[in-house]
Amino acid sequence: MMKRHSVRRLAAAAALMLSIGPGMSRADKFYSDDPLWKEPAPRHVDSAKFRALSDYYEFAVYPFAPPGELNHRKPKGGKQRLVYAAGATNTLGEVPDNSWYANRNYYKAMSKEEIQAGPSNVGPPESSGKWLVISAKNEGVTPGFTIQDSKGRRYLLKFDPLEYSELATATDTLVSKLFHALGYHVPENDIVHFTRDQLEIDPKTKFTGPDGKKRAMTERDVTEILLRVPKAKDGRYRGSTSLYLPGTPLGPHRYFGTRHDDPNDTVPHEHRRDQRGLWVHCAWLGHDDSRAINSLDMLHEDGGRKYVMHYLIDFGSALGSASVRPNSPRSGNYLFSWKEVAGQFFTLGLNIPEWAKAYYPNYPSVGRFEWKTFDPMAWRPEYINPSFENALPDDAFWAAKQVMAVTDDQIRWAVESGQYSNPAAAQWVVECLIKRRDRIGQVFFRQVLPLDKFRVEGNRLAFEDLGVKHEMYGAPSYQVTWANFDNKSETENAIAGATGFDVPGNTNGAYVVARIVGDNAEKDIKVYLRRSSANWEIVGIERGWVGKSKLHFATSGKS
Amino acid sequence: MRFISLAGPVFRKLLIGTLFICASMAQTAVPASTEPQSRAAEIEAARDAKAAELAPEDPNKWEAALIRVRNEKILERLSQGIAGVRVKFGGLAPGAGFALGPEYLRQDLAKGELSFRAAAQASFTGAQKLDVEFGAPAFGKGDKWEWRLQAVRHNYPRMNYYGPGPDSEKTGRSNYRLEDNSFDTTLAFKPIRSVQFGASAGYLMVNTGPGTHNRLISAEQQYPPFRTAGIDEQGNSFRYGVFAQVDKRDNPGGPRSGGSYTLQYNIYNDQSLNRFDFSRLTVDLQQYFPMFNKRRVIALRARSNHSFTRDGQQVPFYLQSVLGGSTDLRGYRPFRFYDDNSLVLNAEWRWEVFSGMDMAVFGDAGQVFRRHRELSFKDMETAVGFGMRFNAQNNTFIRLDVGFSHEGYQVWFAFGDAFAPALQRTSSNFVYQ
Repeated sequence: MMKRHSVRRLAAAAALMLSIGPGMSRADKFYSDDPLWKEPAPRHVDSAKFRALSDYYEFAVYPFAPPGELNHRKPKGGKQRLVYAAGATNTLGEVPDNSWYANRNYYKAMSKEEIQAGPSNVGPPESSGKWLVISAKNEGVTPGFTIQDSKGRRYLLKFDPLEYSELATATDTLVSKLFHALGYHVPENDIVHFTRDQLEIDPKTKFTGPDGKKRAMTERDVTEILLRVPKAKDGRYRGSTSLYLPGTPLGPHRYFGTRHDDPNDTVPHEHRRDQRGLWVHCAWLGHDDSRAINSLDMLHEDGGRKYVMHYLIDFGSALGSASVRPNSPRSGNYLFSWKEVAGQFFTLGLNIPEWAKAYYPNYPSVGRFEWKTFDPMAWRPEYINPSFENALPDDAFWAAKQVMAVTDDQIRWAVESGQYSNPAAAQWVVECLIKRRDRIGQVFFRQVLPLDKFRVEGNRLAFEDLGVKHEMYGAPSYQVTWANFDNKSETENAIAGATGFDVPGNTNGAYVVARIVGDNAEKDIKVYLRRSSANWEIVGIERGWVGKSKLHFATSGKS
Repeated sequence: MRFISLAGPVFRKLLIGTLFICASMAQTAVPASTEPQSRAAEIEAARDAKAAELAPEDPNKWEAALIRVRNEKILERLSQGIAGVRVKFGGLAPGAGFALGPEYLRQDLAKGELSFRAAAQASFTGAQKLDVEFGAPAFGKGDKWEWRLQAVRHNYPRMNYYGPGPDSEKTGRSNYRLEDNSFDTTLAFKPIRSVQFGASAGYLMVNTGPGTHNRLISAEQQYPPFRTAGIDEQGNSFRYGVFAQVDKRDNPGGPRSGGSYTLQYNIYNDQSLNRFDFSRLTVDLQQYFPMFNKRRVIALRARSNHSFTRDGQQVPFYLQSVLGGSTDLRGYRPFRFYDDNSLVLNAEWRWEVFSGMDMAVFGDAGQVFRRHRELSFKDMETAVGFGMRFNAQNNTFIRLDVGFSHEGYQVWFAFGDAFAPALQRTSSNFVYQ
């Protein structure tokens, strides 16, 4: 009888024949469907289960043994430091719409209504009816409820710390609007005002009392929780509501590796451009609490097909807020780093870090938020985040252009949604966000050539110079050279005499490439064009930066 | 008709041949069939590969353990207790050694109007403390009143004693057992958050005896009663007093700005011997000068105890002011100097090393004295040193200080801020004074 393993060997031998040998094909650099603006529909996921992550573990381990494939480090047993280019991008370097990210404001400016509505446009809980208290969070310093409004919609209801009215709720709300505009998937957060008698306890609601025992929730429990939150003179309470996300919670996502139970999650998170770029976005918004536990994967169901969506949640610890108190002035720096500890330990505190010199106006509802000492390049979350750590200049440029695309008016609209009662406080937040945004542009646009939105107009290569657009410099001069490009062998053959922005007429293939340089030859951009019937279309963009040619790029060994 | 057996060698050869022919044909006819022909197909191929190796998404065992700590609220249970019971660390007199023991705390009695606490602690040197407290932490209109009833028992078997006065010799070290039981009640009023004043009254029973330190002489063998009042017999005292405090510190558990200004006046009436009637005025002034967003702080403290006696009355040595220890003269042994009065001045330069730790360099100066005219700034004992203070939620919870003086160096491992407590509303902790 033929043994099973013999069959397997035969099949393997045949498969080998199919994949090697002289007939083996090589992938083209560009496919016919490039550039892809939307990932294929996710395939059905039936094995994903909820799993928790530990912030204690991250805090204890990451500063000393950061996980993931990190750029500029030697892999185990390796001899040279490797760098991994960003994944989950299309050939233009953009992130296609997917379960992590959706292109929004950068390509289509959002209106005031769109900015303030956020992701779902459902709105806050219905104010006319009672809010049924489904559960309560009593422990810790941030109490809250889960409520259900008269329309049956469920929300998390969160509060401010007793001594800092508006601090956490305004931050949680307005930052969610900005992250949404930037392209991330977030819950819909809104400010609400309500009276005590609007809360009604669901008879089935259980409550864990101070004695640690679970029992039916009482009116007294609700009152005691409300005693720990600010109450306005008119007797109303202020909170921020977060609309329940659709689907089944699967727990947070890590900033490295992939979910082992999700077939659609194929690019290690530390290599995803949307996650690397999140570093710049968090820097802008002072979201130093950007760690795994402030994310949430949800198992969505759509027409019988289930798939995982990746959300950012809980923005109460951003801007100048640390949720339960104003931020530490250290915010934007690691809580612990060997270098800083050594520097402070041995200098008797006489070496004053720049962040300690910051000035903060006295706005209790804003906390500690400023822009003068803000250094986007040096900004870090509370502890190491592998995705942020991996950001390369082209990742940071991608993120920075999203930030720069948020206009002054859009910032004002987002801040309005935070409903600060003190106009001066709101104005300060607006000013800080504008100044921090501009500094992000100044820093990250200088690392690469900030040209974008390439297109062919007539027969001329056109683009948007983001440096000029944002008044960072005047009209610079660029040099262009052209080459025919072989999509199969990826070889270039210079086209003699072609040096302007007009697409040369003497091309001999389907592809050409224009190399644009400014005052630094290392900061170049290669723009790939493909002939499409009588026209040319932009099919690929590659950006160079100072020192890129010396890096050793590698392919990720993980998925 | 002959059938080819599926297990036979003929079938095997046929199968191999067929597979190889098919493979070769596939290469010739569709050379790129294994490569994706579109970006979408490439993504699908990656999903295919991932789908073939799906696995449960589990955290590693260390992370799983920490998730359990979080989910089962183990840290909260340790700090807040299980059904009111928790472990309490520290809290005994300096030099008594590392202490721990159970504490039972209820703050939810009468719907939160009343609280009850009972604790028993022991150190590895044999020191013990039992205390029970019952009170109403906030009552009356605006919750501005506070009332407490406290009973405490100390048993310190090896308290240092070097003899009275500022000129006592380091070589004169002896030890004694201090046992006391006290019952006190305190009523305080807080008209505004930063101001409180009130009164306390209580009864104190003290007994001293031979120390148990096997390398030190017992105090009563070295210091006769005419030098050391109260070493031969101890009395029971009725005590009462008033206090007032203005507390403008930003965070009493780890202050970085503001100040605390405390006045306390207590009267001790000896109920059994009629020898130890006295009164004491305690002044504690603390000021914190923040710099660079409170990441640098100059902390200053002046603390003095002044005792007043009538003719023929004395302050017994076990109720005298004491200097030397982790909160005053940190370059000297615990309870290095005893006398009726004391003054200690402390200055610290504190800086944040990282968010969980501050460091400090400090200088201490202090003196005990019998009469007020004996106080001399140039004769003060001095100490300098450095320290590390570990904090959580901006509160100092562990402090490691190293103090140097002409008598050597001392290493202090202590809980809480160096200048705490700013106010003691009973004298149940008088050994700290």
